[in-house]
Amino acid sequence: MNYDSNFKTQYMKKYFGNFTIAIALMLFLNACSKEVAEEDNDNEVVTTLELHIMERVTFNHFIYKFDDPDGFGAGSAAPVIDVIRLSPNKVYDVELKLFNKTANPVEDVTAEVEEEGADHRFYYLPSTSSNITVNNFSNDGNGVPVGIMSTWTTGAKGAGKIRIVLRHYPNGSKATDDPVDSPKSSTDVDTEFTTSVE
Amino acid sequence: MFLIIHFIGVRYLLIVFLLCSGWLNTSAQDCNLTLKGHVEDSDTKDQLSGATVIIRSINREVTTDDNGDFTFMKLCPGTYELEVTHVGCEPISQTVAIEKNTHIDLLLPHLKNNLQEVIVSGTKQLTNTGFKQELSGTRLEQASGLSLAEALAKLNGVTMLQTGSTIAKPVIHGLHSNRILTINNGVRQEGQQWGNEHAPEIDPFIADKLIVIKGVDELKYGSDAIGGVILVDPKPLRYLPGNHGEINTVYFTNNNEYVVSGVYEQQLKKMPAFSYRLQGTFKRGANVRTPDYRLNNTALQEENFSVTVGWKKEHYNLEAFYSQFHTKAGIFTGSHIGNLTDLKEAIAAPKPDDIFLNEKGYEISRPNQEVSHRLFKLRSNLYKGANKFQLTMAAQYNERKEYDIVRSSTNLKPQLNLSILTLTEDLSWEHPSVFNLKGTAGISFMQQDNSYTGRYFIPHYISATYGGYWLEKWKKEKWDIQAGIRYDYKAFSTQRLRNAVLTSHDFDFSTLGASLNTAYTIRPDMHVNVNLSHASRAPHVNELLSDGIHHGTATYEVGDINLSPEKSYNLSVGFDYANARKTFTAELTLYNNYIRDFIYQQPKPDEPVLTIAGAFPKIVYEQTNALLRGFDAAFSYHFLKQLALSSKASVLRAYNRNIDDWLISMPADRISNELVYTFKGNEHVSEPYVGLELANVFKQSRVPGDKFGKQDYKEPPPAYNLVNLNAAVTLRFGKHPFTLGAGVHNLLNTSYREYLNSFRYYVDEAGRNVQLRLKFSF
Repeated sequence: MNYDSNFKTQYMKKYFGNFTIAIALMLFLNACSKEVAEEDNDNEVVTTLELHIMERVTFNHFIYKFDDPDGFGAGSAAPVIDVIRLSPNKVYDVELKLFNKTANPVEDVTAEVEEEGADHRFYYLPSTSSNITVNNFSNDGNGVPVGIMSTWTTGAKGAGKIRIVLRHYPNGSKATDDPVDSPKSSTDVDTEFTTSVE
Repeated sequence: MFLIIHFIGVRYLLIVFLLCSGWLNTSAQDCNLTLKGHVEDSDTKDQLSGATVIIRSINREVTTDDNGDFTFMKLCPGTYELEVTHVGCEPISQTVAIEKNTHIDLLLPHLKNNLQEVIVSGTKQLTNTGFKQELSGTRLEQASGLSLAEALAKLNGVTMLQTGSTIAKPVIHGLHSNRILTINNGVRQEGQQWGNEHAPEIDPFIADKLIVIKGVDELKYGSDAIGGVILVDPKPLRYLPGNHGEINTVYFTNNNEYVVSGVYEQQLKKMPAFSYRLQGTFKRGANVRTPDYRLNNTALQEENFSVTVGWKKEHYNLEAFYSQFHTKAGIFTGSHIGNLTDLKEAIAAPKPDDIFLNEKGYEISRPNQEVSHRLFKLRSNLYKGANKFQLTMAAQYNERKEYDIVRSSTNLKPQLNLSILTLTEDLSWEHPSVFNLKGTAGISFMQQDNSYTGRYFIPHYISATYGGYWLEKWKKEKWDIQAGIRYDYKAFSTQRLRNAVLTSHDFDFSTLGASLNTAYTIRPDMHVNVNLSHASRAPHVNELLSDGIHHGTATYEVGDINLSPEKSYNLSVGFDYANARKTFTAELTLYNNYIRDFIYQQPKPDEPVLTIAGAFPKIVYEQTNALLRGFDAAFSYHFLKQLALSSKASVLRAYNRNIDDWLISMPADRISNELVYTFKGNEHVSEPYVGLELANVFKQSRVPGDKFGKQDYKEPPPAYNLVNLNAAVTLRFGKHPFTLGAGVHNLLNTSYREYLNSFRYYVDEAGRNVQLRLKFSF
């Protein structure tokens, strides 16, 4: 019996020696962990699309936008979408700008699109009743439209919509004839504004 | 056979067969010998149940039954080395020459210096008599090189949930993800298993057996195993002096995938208590080909390794295990969907645009996912009389990075980056046998810390789970009754910091699991088994708090913080039969799984979420009462000595009881018939076989209707039939056996789509794939 208890002490020591090491390891690993969440950082999000519009003769200019500064999802405010108001029978030079306002400082996404112009293209799709036509798109380095700049021409008074879509083409596969729904590309931005030529 | 000669990949296979048939013609002996044996304690003459008998040269292993008996079937004539181990006894090694059916008695001496009371019978637990399906030996070899889910899908009742060809996870009786527990080497695997496109992070080459269980034993791992438990079990460490190694190589023709896996184990004579094993796998595959086109960016690569060391003494043993898993899997470029319009266009197109097709190569670009999993485990067993204590401690670290297609090529960051650390401690006690009762009680503790950077999908959280269980197993004559109960308490706090506002939530849940299993032996070869089990699962953080766009499905997924645990009440009845000559065996399992407060995703087509990329349909987590019932049936018949037919069928009906409709995304009914011809072997060639399988998958016509808006974008794909081929032969030169094997999946190169693959919207499944494998043991 005596021997037995001695033996027990021996192996218990060995056994619990290992146990202690393991517990220490667990505590150490646990101590390394972060306790507070990091700020969300979706580096691909776009919150804001701005149209900087300038009338050619008067140089009157104004900004219309789709603005969702806190992003989308649970607890965020709904986006604010301006109504685009233009005068009849005028020509406007339009520059499109994209921002990510959830980033600090605010990130200029247009610059990124311009840099990778061969992979991107903005499409402007005015409805017939809007009496707006869009052409004269700016090109990428390969001479294919990228559409950051465009010219808008208004006709008679009318009310309608204009859909603005940014499509992403893989590996610079973009060609001049590619339609907005080209199966090659996927959508980065797709918004619709109400227009009024008045 | 005439047809396949025309197929390019198959010519390798023919070479293998021609080679074999050359050998076969010279054969005279037959490889149908049986070795039976009996294991006893040399001192007490007690029958030793639960002793392990291994023949390493042919990689076969059996465990002795309650009478200490074991059987190896289908042996070729020759000389074999048997390794016999049992708790509390010295392992022995014995050489046996087999010319005819043989019986051998093996006596195991007590461990030296064993001055304490005798530890013999009673230390080995009774096996789980609940429902058990096992993939091992030849069938596991056939799955070599495949992912864990693909291997498990060879079991009846197990299917796969896939995201393209590179990501697959197992589905048991219609349930998956957090409803299944995966036990990797005795440790509950914890990663980001909630996601449909998050595959288990386990190298199947670690396993000697893959087992799916349902029954009391699942309570050892959790009260939340609503769908069942998957055990990934490695072979026990060797405790006989010497070494052993094995190299497996596999090549797949479809995507030029090659796999190399090696294992080496050694036990030094000088240190009888010490044993170790090293194991590693490397896998690389190029873009996958469907019958009509090759899919760009479907390459994958994987590098894994593990180290096991053991220290075994008479009254205790220790085992340390470290494994590292790393995978990078490309996701078909054409599946990148910007918004709902893109998705509808992709679905409408009969095939993806040519720009996404027909590139060869191993390069992985965006989108892709990179996942690593590290596991460190320390396990100790302590024997005190007929009591056994086991302490397992494990640390797991899982890191998951998802790389989406981004605007700027200079952006090298992952868009979703999740990491989770899990610490588990489990302590169990197996008590001595009292009135035929053997039992185990245990407590377990788990801590988790989850964090993310980049895009939000699930929050940062820390959690703690405390659990306790008690199982008893009773066996007498024809009856075997097992019962168990488990309780878990889980508390967690979540945090999200967004636009400088911190949102926190605290949750706690209590869950209960219980199981009662009664098995009755009608005749030695006829058993009936009834299992009644209850499991409950606390909602996971993704179900409570997910909030974000799911890119593959163009949905906006929203969690619900008011969810309650789901509770399952499962009744399963099993029946198995074999005739006296064992030429006919049949198995039938019927199950009826009623799940209260079943958590599922309900599309809300009328509440789109407006973003700058367009409107996304909202999909929310809701609860219902679900009923999943079905059966798995299998039989095999040797109508000639060398020719056998194996058939299996798996049928499931899954209802959403609250709305009186079907549940979405449930596996379709399937049947499979396989004819296997086994050739005669000789001392150089053992067990060559060729099997031809016809697998039929029906169309899933039981999908939810449009009562609450459209539930799916596309009708389930039509039924499909696949022809598969399997063959292998083991050749032996001197002491070294090597096994050549070949398999052909989708022999006829059929174009088809599977309902449970989310890429069924865009592309066909992979076309013909010839698998060539070579295993060498030394």
